[in-house]
Amino acid sequence: MATVYKNFNGSDVVNTRTLLHEAIPVTGSIVSGTYGGNGVVLGSEPHIKKYAHGMFESVFDYPFLSSSANHIFDITAGYSSVSELSGATNTQNAKKIAVYNQMAQVLAGYDHAGNIRRFDEDGNLASGTKLDEVFFINFSRLLTKDEIKKGTFQLDLGVDAAFSQNTTVMTEVINITDASGSNGYYVNSPAGEYGILYATNSAGPDILKSHNSFPVGLIYYQAGIAVLSASVFNDNVQGGIINDDSGSCALYGLEGLPVGFQEFTGSTISATADGIRNRVKNIQFDNTTELNSAIHFCRVNHNEYNYSANPTYLTGSKIKVKGNNRKNLPVSYITSVGLYSADRELLAVAKLSEPLKKDPTMELTLKVRLDY
Amino acid sequence: MAFLDNSGDIILDAVLTDTGRMRLAKGDGSFKITQFALGDDEIDYGLYDANHTSGSAYYDLQVLQLPVLEAFTDNAAGLKSKLITVSNNNLLYLPVIQLNEIWNGNQTARHGDGVFMVAVDETTEKKFLPGDHLVDYGENLNQSARYIRLDQGLDTTAFSPQMALPADLEETQYIVEIDNRFGEIYSWDSHERASISFIDDDNIATYYLSLGANNRFVMENEVKLADSATQVCDGPRGTILQFKIKSSLELNDSTQLFTELGGDNLTVTDIGGTSTYYFLDTFVKVQGATTGYRADIPVRFIKLKSD
Repeated sequence: MATVYKNFNGSDVVNTRTLLHEAIPVTGSIVSGTYGGNGVVLGSEPHIKKYAHGMFESVFDYPFLSSSANHIFDITAGYSSVSELSGATNTQNAKKIAVYNQMAQVLAGYDHAGNIRRFDEDGNLASGTKLDEVFFINFSRLLTKDEIKKGTFQLDLGVDAAFSQNTTVMTEVINITDASGSNGYYVNSPAGEYGILYATNSAGPDILKSHNSFPVGLIYYQAGIAVLSASVFNDNVQGGIINDDSGSCALYGLEGLPVGFQEFTGSTISATADGIRNRVKNIQFDNTTELNSAIHFCRVNHNEYNYSANPTYLTGSKIKVKGNNRKNLPVSYITSVGLYSADRELLAVAKLSEPLKKDPTMELTLKVRLDY
Repeated sequence: MAFLDNSGDIILDAVLTDTGRMRLAKGDGSFKITQFALGDDEIDYGLYDANHTSGSAYYDLQVLQLPVLEAFTDNAAGLKSKLITVSNNNLLYLPVIQLNEIWNGNQTARHGDGVFMVAVDETTEKKFLPGDHLVDYGENLNQSARYIRLDQGLDTTAFSPQMALPADLEETQYIVEIDNRFGEIYSWDSHERASISFIDDDNIATYYLSLGANNRFVMENEVKLADSATQVCDGPRGTILQFKIKSSLELNDSTQLFTELGGDNLTVTDIGGTSTYYFLDTFVKVQGATTGYRADIPVRFIKLKSD
């Protein structure tokens, strides 16, 4: 009997899982330089979207009013209610606590009594140093896809003491990475896996106090969120990791001695976000896309699909490619593979890049992969 | 769709169709791939030169150079012409499916405009005498003897029609597709409404009509004599598919689809001379499930606008 459709048997369909990685470089100039600089007031760059509620700001790779703009990350900051910085007279005190609590309840979860856990510096939730003053970089799903690849995250921050809107804040640079992330991550978060971020000296003299590496935050791989301690902007005297000789950073152009993240108490979340962003020299990581594939092996035996129902195949009812000789082999040319349901509804189509000859002397296996 | 890059290795460009995505989104298990078919939509076999003077290596040179389009995601647009498996490699003829417009006078003929014209309501029907004006009735099917008939068989004089069509080439099941917004399929004698197998995301209803199971639609062609007055296949004959189209309620009581998808200024000769009609052109697609051969039937729905 002539047939058009051929059933797959059990061995013709294979399911596979593949992880694809892309390198995502977010050059600091996009974040802090391209649309800003000395001529533009920090925070008024056209690629920065601010909101009336003032809880965070969004960074785009192009002026955000353009349809060409891509959202690359959000930035915000907060502190816990038990932080030394917390104070009723602070600017946006409630919102800063709210931001911290919201992120903590999503990323760190709750303790046995239902209280929101505070971020923990070393992943040991039972004890150790808590991160009570932090800023957050929430990467868009466009960049992180399914997750950030462990061990690839890197953030370079300029930590010169003086404020400026040019690259002079980046002559002293610390390098923050999840260096041990590929084999030393934690799973005790409700938001998936996370690793510890460590800061090391990158450019300039001995920027970091006493020793070379400090845990300064957490990177949540599936959530695509970096939680960074305010200590990266503070010197030793002010509880941070910067060498006292280098001094704390001035996040904004305020008069007086730079006091690092302590400036946060008197400024808005948005202004602090601008100050942090102004010091981003580089961000890069690899993202991960998890592809679940179904590979359909379309096996075409020698005696199958050698004729065509194409209207041009016939003249009247005579087969053109036979050249008037019935003993000539039939031949057909494959350009498409259709995958059908049991009720013969076309569910997927695959096209070959060029016609593929089929006659009774050959057998083919066409491998069609559908990714989900 | 762009052409696929054919400068290197053969690659496969695979996509889910819109129906595939719809079924996937339903999450009811209806997205299950169980079979495949091969197609050759872009191939013009007229380019195959079996008498090329340079030898057999040149027979299909032009065919193999044909560019291939990227995959269409519209399920109705992909794989229109399919490859067929027939175990016999010595066939020189393949059966076709053809409109038979000469059966029983003009009972199955198209309108003079080259389409099967269907009057969608009684008011419109009354403007035509079916036998004289070759217009099908879409509301009162039983008031008109007209219907659509397709014959399957070998259209060649190389074999006598008295010979039997090889069993493996006889079409036993037809797949009929019609836009469900416009109409539905009834038997040629108006007695039976065909069962819809499924309706896709584009409102295309698909009917499976089989020999044996749907005897009012599919039947053996019993005429074995050469008869150019009633038969369109000169050689051995297989089965017949015949049906009527009943217009949908939407076309029957509204002009919305006519104005959206058709027009309102068609002049047609009727019992009063000529009148102006709303019209809507479409195709009813018929494909042999066994042999893969396909025929597109032009259909025009009309509704009286003004005398």
